[in-house]
Amino acid sequence: MSKKYWKGVEELRNDAEFVRLKNNEFYENLPLDQVIEKKAQDVNTTPRRDFLKFLGFSVAAASLAACEAPVRKTIPYLIRPDQITPGIANWYASSYFDGYDYCSVIVKTREGRPIKLEGNPLNAVTKGGVNARVQASILSLYDDARYKTPISGGNPSSWEVTDKAIIEKLTAIAAKGGKIRILSSTIISPSTKKVIADFAAKYPTTKHVVYDSVSASAMRQANQESFGLNVIPSYNFDKANVIVALDADFLVNWISPVEHARQYAETRKLNGGKKSMSRHIQVESALSVTGSNADLRIPVKPSQQGAVAANLYNAVAAGTGASAIAASALDAETAKKIASVAKELLENKGKSLVVCGVNNTAIQNVVNGINSLLDNYGTTIDLDNANHLRQGSDTDLTAFLDELNKGEVAAVFVYNSNPVYTLPNGAAFAQDLTKKVELSVSFSDRPDETSAVCNYVSPDHHAFESWSDAEPRTGIYSVGQPTIAPLFSTRQAEESLLLWSGNPTNFHDYMAAYWSSAIFSKTSGSWNKVLQDGVFELPAAVTKNYKTSANLNTAAETIGKMSASGFELVIYEKVGLGNGQQANNPWLQELPDPISKVTWDNYIAVSPKDAREKGWKQGNVVTVKAGTISVKAPVVIQPGQAFGTASLAIGYGRTVAGRVADNRGVNAYPFTSLTGGNINMSVGGVDIQKTADEDYMLAATQTHHTMMGRAIVKETSLAEYIKDPKAGNEDELLTIKVGKGEEVKKKAGDLNLWGDFDNGNHHWGMSIDLNSCIGCGACVVACTAENNVSVVGKDEVNRSREMHWIRIDRYYSSDADPKEGESGDIKKMEDPSDMPRVVFQPVMCQHCAHAPCETVCPVIATSHSSEGLNQMTYNRCVGTRYCANNCPYKVRRFNWFRYTDNPQFDFNMNNDLGKMVLNPDVVVRSRGVMEKCSMCVQRLQDGKLTAKKEGRKLVDGEVKTACAQSCPTHAITFGDYNIPDSELNKMWNPDERSYHLLGELNVQPNVYYQTKVRNIEEGKEA
Amino acid sequence: MSNRYITRHITFLVTVISIALFSFTSANAQDGEALFKANCTSCHAVKEKMIGPALKGIGNRRSEEWLIKWIKNSQAVLKTGDEYAVKIFNDYNKVAMPSFGLKDEEVKAILAYVKAEEQKPDAPVAGAPAGGTTPVQESQPIWLYLLIAASILYLLSAVLGRVQHTLARTVRQNEGLPEPAPKTRWESFRHWFRNNKKLVAVILIFLTLYGSVKGWYSLQSIGISQGYTPEQPIAYSHILHAGDLQIPCVYCHSGAERGKVAGIPSANVCMNCHKYVRKGPTTGTAEIAKIYKALDYDPDKGTYGPNQTPIQWVRVHNLPDLAYFNHAQHYVVGKVACQTCHGPVQDSMTVAGQYSPLTMGWCINCHRTTKVNMAGNAYYNDFHKQLLSKYGADSLLTVQTIGGLECARCHY
Repeated sequence: MSKKYWKGVEELRNDAEFVRLKNNEFYENLPLDQVIEKKAQDVNTTPRRDFLKFLGFSVAAASLAACEAPVRKTIPYLIRPDQITPGIANWYASSYFDGYDYCSVIVKTREGRPIKLEGNPLNAVTKGGVNARVQASILSLYDDARYKTPISGGNPSSWEVTDKAIIEKLTAIAAKGGKIRILSSTIISPSTKKVIADFAAKYPTTKHVVYDSVSASAMRQANQESFGLNVIPSYNFDKANVIVALDADFLVNWISPVEHARQYAETRKLNGGKKSMSRHIQVESALSVTGSNADLRIPVKPSQQGAVAANLYNAVAAGTGASAIAASALDAETAKKIASVAKELLENKGKSLVVCGVNNTAIQNVVNGINSLLDNYGTTIDLDNANHLRQGSDTDLTAFLDELNKGEVAAVFVYNSNPVYTLPNGAAFAQDLTKKVELSVSFSDRPDETSAVCNYVSPDHHAFESWSDAEPRTGIYSVGQPTIAPLFSTRQAEESLLLWSGNPTNFHDYMAAYWSSAIFSKTSGSWNKVLQDGVFELPAAVTKNYKTSANLNTAAETIGKMSASGFELVIYEKVGLGNGQQANNPWLQELPDPISKVTWDNYIAVSPKDAREKGWKQGNVVTVKAGTISVKAPVVIQPGQAFGTASLAIGYGRTVAGRVADNRGVNAYPFTSLTGGNINMSVGGVDIQKTADEDYMLAATQTHHTMMGRAIVKETSLAEYIKDPKAGNEDELLTIKVGKGEEVKKKAGDLNLWGDFDNGNHHWGMSIDLNSCIGCGACVVACTAENNVSVVGKDEVNRSREMHWIRIDRYYSSDADPKEGESGDIKKMEDPSDMPRVVFQPVMCQHCAHAPCETVCPVIATSHSSEGLNQMTYNRCVGTRYCANNCPYKVRRFNWFRYTDNPQFDFNMNNDLGKMVLNPDVVVRSRGVMEKCSMCVQRLQDGKLTAKKEGRKLVDGEVKTACAQSCPTHAITFGDYNIPDSELNKMWNPDERSYHLLGELNVQPNVYYQTKVRNIEEGKEA
Repeated sequence: MSNRYITRHITFLVTVISIALFSFTSANAQDGEALFKANCTSCHAVKEKMIGPALKGIGNRRSEEWLIKWIKNSQAVLKTGDEYAVKIFNDYNKVAMPSFGLKDEEVKAILAYVKAEEQKPDAPVAGAPAGGTTPVQESQPIWLYLLIAASILYLLSAVLGRVQHTLARTVRQNEGLPEPAPKTRWESFRHWFRNNKKLVAVILIFLTLYGSVKGWYSLQSIGISQGYTPEQPIAYSHILHAGDLQIPCVYCHSGAERGKVAGIPSANVCMNCHKYVRKGPTTGTAEIAKIYKALDYDPDKGTYGPNQTPIQWVRVHNLPDLAYFNHAQHYVVGKVACQTCHGPVQDSMTVAGQYSPLTMGWCINCHRTTKVNMAGNAYYNDFHKQLLSKYGADSLLTVQTIGGLECARCHY
């Protein structure tokens, strides 16, 4: 029943190299030669007496040094703001939008420093969810690469000088009627839009051009053609029984991922005896996070996407009696699958959803047609309450680039975007900007490729230093307030624009005035209440059913012309870096890609089949050539990649971002193209050639920490689960010899070597629902932020020394037996491993009651608490690492180096600014000690103290670990076993889905998992 | 001990007598002082300008009759258009003096007190404080007594040695024995050494043991700053504020009620009182002026300037980062008095010092022995019952029994 999982193709193939690594916890020989310098080679000749002398000296020196303690100053406020008590956190509702990711957040500040973000549960769009990139944005605030002053002609300048020069030039340009263009990413702030309108009123030749680095312009155009509405709809994944996604990574990247992930998870949960769940079909080329969660995944080449849409339309149309459109034939297997998908969709008319992430108007029109036939508008798709998160227009962008190229544009203001890096032809843009424009101003708060070529930089505040408002969906507002005084001499972009248009008000007053006149006039509201809650809502419009009026035959004709020869290259977004604007953030660089588990790099992902045929190996450096564009990048063999395709992530290859990001990986944007009116994220006819270069070192967390092939993720199908809720969760029975030759089978839990612990006032524990976990990595970044987890860099990750306290294991499935593989049945192994099923499993310290680590520690640095925690006491640890060796879950992390104030690890902990993000309630660990998940004991202690002070019981759900708090899909539930009706107790049901990881060991973890259930019928489909 | 006792008694007597003499000379002023302090001190002082004018010489400037009217209802006097009254009102930022429901005799008593006060010489600054608040002199150090005892013993042994020597010679002379050859000091010591090997061995063993034990303890004290009492930028006296004036600790260290850090009070907390109290009994205006300087405060105008500079206190209690300590847990939940760890600050610390060693052993010992009182705190309800059934009686429940020795209570 239970499937075999591999952490990588190496494991599946059981390579000799892999076996060697698997049997050796330490990836390579310990680098003793690095530790012991060359001089010490003659260590034998060093007389023992010298050693004693040194010893004696150091004891004396230590004693002398200890006699005089340093004098420490303590400097209280002169006039303490009454809301600030040193040592107590303040929380402020705020809002984050960087033109790409949106989240309504609550910012935790300590002594005036924002240190952690949590989702704002009051917000109707994100509902308390925060993704990895927004979690990490708090560190981007403390990036020491940020601009510290305005820049004029590449040199630091003052605001007076810059303002004077810009206003003079603007006035001159306006006087002669020169064109002024504001180029920005999507703006969802109504106040900012008004500021831009004010600016345009002052300088009437101004036009605002909006473009998105990852464009959804085709959707807006298609909706204009289909329904006369130039909008992107809001989706209700939670109302859909069948979800079909055509190249849309909607769980982690596409348009509003936090919202989608939560809605999606609601349809996947099987809590409280629920016996139904949605069915998710993903059609895509590269294996995305969303695709890895799908029940059925149909790999297609990018050039086939249109044909898939048209064929699906025809199959649905056949069921509803609508007329067919022209569609080119698909291969038999895909056609069969599409037909069955159409059948499922038709069975769920009005309760299904087809989404498409291809930036192509014709395909989007056909997809609109499918949804229209299925009556999905008004139920799962809401056109009346539009989503505002992608407003870019590729048409406007094309027109602007044309104007710019002709030299018609006199002034360009670049706001919240980095066109030199993200445009398909950024180099040409940079040339035009420097040579054909009189005035170019960037508002970027940190150096980027565009600000580097602008005449002036008027650095904006970071989001958490600014006032802002946002309207992510029609009628849903959130506001952002500053949580720290500006760190540098920066000024909010809106204030700059206002000042230059002759209105020197501060943006807060401007915004408050705008709200009272434009928003509170619709529904009464109070500004203070809005600031406190961070959100405001107008009554939602009634959502209606729409029927497409676009000419689908024209669309089908356009689709029919799409073709590509040879290899096709897919450009995609990674969970960590996204569009690359936060590339200089070490937390995001070190976040492993959920699928490949590679950190710090992008790479060419190819399918195992293609790799075999072409003779590519993991890490080989290849040249990828498409037209005139050519890059060198390493190969990653990626199961699930559609045959004949390769994929490369954007976000890397920055050149002007800061020392963390610069020249890491390659820039994939040049492979995109602005042809046919839209930015295409794929390119055909790609030539990939292996080079003679030495293999590239890819730092992956992938094949490390093996679970030695044991069944650790339990899985079943929905049909089996309905028959027997314990399906897939069979107990591990151990054979015990009794008497002479008699054998009995016993549950591991019945065999105890140790006695039980007495429970204290609490008994903490955690439940992880593998059905809801989408592998997005938000928990990893949240844990890093909460617990001062060090960034170790690529080299150290490569040595398996990453410090993350929580990791998300990803396993590929296969029906093949690896033993058969050894005997040579390669063909049978090939199919499943090329297109595998994927499971994600977050693993942190399991806080075992009978912890193997505790019994081996020679200095009792790790011990058990009466509250069910496995405690790690850093100041007691001497670094024997016995505990890590004895931990069956491999969750302990050793500090091989001091990662603070160490130029060898020049990340955020090596400068005063970056250290401002540290949580003062958690110790920064030093070299030579072991560390691991503490179940956020500082948060537990804090919650307990609050309850004690108020003289009341601790309420279930009042305290949460950082991972549980941040999980957008609520896959992690934290709680207290001692509260009888706690969520944790309700979910613990070993007769159904609950199980302990490696239960046969009977280490009695306080963390348990819930079996993963897929909505498939075993044997009926692949 | 007795000396201190006597000193105290004498001081007390002198104070009582002087007060008695003073009260005899001005019975009115005695009531007047209480009334003045209750009603007037928030705006007036005798010799300095505050919110209102200095009152020195008021009896000469205005008639008693006018003053009674003015003090009882200043607004009424202003309405009459009295020239002096209007000028005073305008000079002092048009802040009206509130009306006081005082009887004529009471006003007279206040005026008498003011008169008595203005005749007193200016209080000398620092060093010669007024009677009752004399800081107690340091007690006679014990070594002085030891020195005296040692010299007496030395004298005694010298005298006895001399006596023995004389007696021995007399005996020798009487019995006609020859005088022994004179020995050098070194020879006599060697002689003694040879004849007393056991004693020497015992002394050596004793010294070695003593040295090791002493050495061990002194090594242990490395890095422990017990008794650390650094000089502070402002000579703030805990004895005066917390002791004599009985200001509760958490009035200033208010963080102790709320969370981890008790905190050094911000200067605005000082100003709650020192806006009015502009002269201290020990240091006069010198130290209080430092607060004003930090806040750029002009006491005459009552305004704050822009050139504010924070006060850089020296931190006394430096817990290492690896240990988490929360004041609220101990002070609010555990109801531990501040003095348990910080010592009798109000009685003996002019400048605050580190009273306790702040070592882990010290923490642990307290957690082992301190009994917890869980009754009345609903947080502990079920747990309390569970513990009682296990341990039997409340008196057996210590911090240890509720997990107070577990590592992750303090180390994370």
